[in-house]
Amino acid sequence: MKCAELTEPEITARTPHKNIVRIPTGLLGFEQIKDYVLTTNPDEEPFAWLHVEDNTALAFVVIDPFVVLPDYKPDIPKVDVEFLQLKEAKDALLLGIVTINDHQPPTVNLKGPIVINRHTHTGKQVIIANAANYSVKHPLPVA
Amino acid sequence: MLILSRKVGESIVIDGRIVVKVMRVEGEVIKLGIEAPAEVPVHRQEVYEEIQRSNQAALTKQNAPLPKLPKLAMKPKQP
Repeated sequence: MKCAELTEPEITARTPHKNIVRIPTGLLGFEQIKDYVLTTNPDEEPFAWLHVEDNTALAFVVIDPFVVLPDYKPDIPKVDVEFLQLKEAKDALLLGIVTINDHQPPTVNLKGPIVINRHTHTGKQVIIANAANYSVKHPLPVA
Repeated sequence: MLILSRKVGESIVIDGRIVVKVMRVEGEVIKLGIEAPAEVPVHRQEVYEEIQRSNQAALTKQNAPLPKLPKLAMKPKQP
């Protein structure tokens, strides 16, 4: 099956957009959940949603980490590059998982981004090799 | 669990390709040197647990209110 290429959430067409994403190893702590739908909506930029495919009530808010931190330099381990069959950097779409906090600014996890192959729509939550340089709770600048 | 005693400077070998060496002991802190092939990820256990907790805190309901971010001037770039 040929898949449409995944595009950056913030430059997606001006209409809501859905893409199936399969995460065969699940997210850490949610290993049993493997099928997601990545939904982008121009009204919600720069955020996007990663919905659990079989339970639409559950979802993660995600954001392009390079929007949050333009000089973010995640070192993606070779084993993950091979698992995801990434041939070059532009094959990868990176998503940072956002935590919406009650009394504090929202934060994004920069230690464990979700890396998705834009062509196969297969993803993995990758612990970057230089995780020590980044926070799991990097604060977002809220207007 | 296999339990081995090692002295400073001694190592263990895992799978013939991963070497864990006791470098120094400073009170309760043990410095380990780890030699592993590039394809073997090595992380402190806390990193896994931290990301697990973060994922659990991040799980939300669809259509939760989203914060507004200020417009950022810089274009995103590739890793």
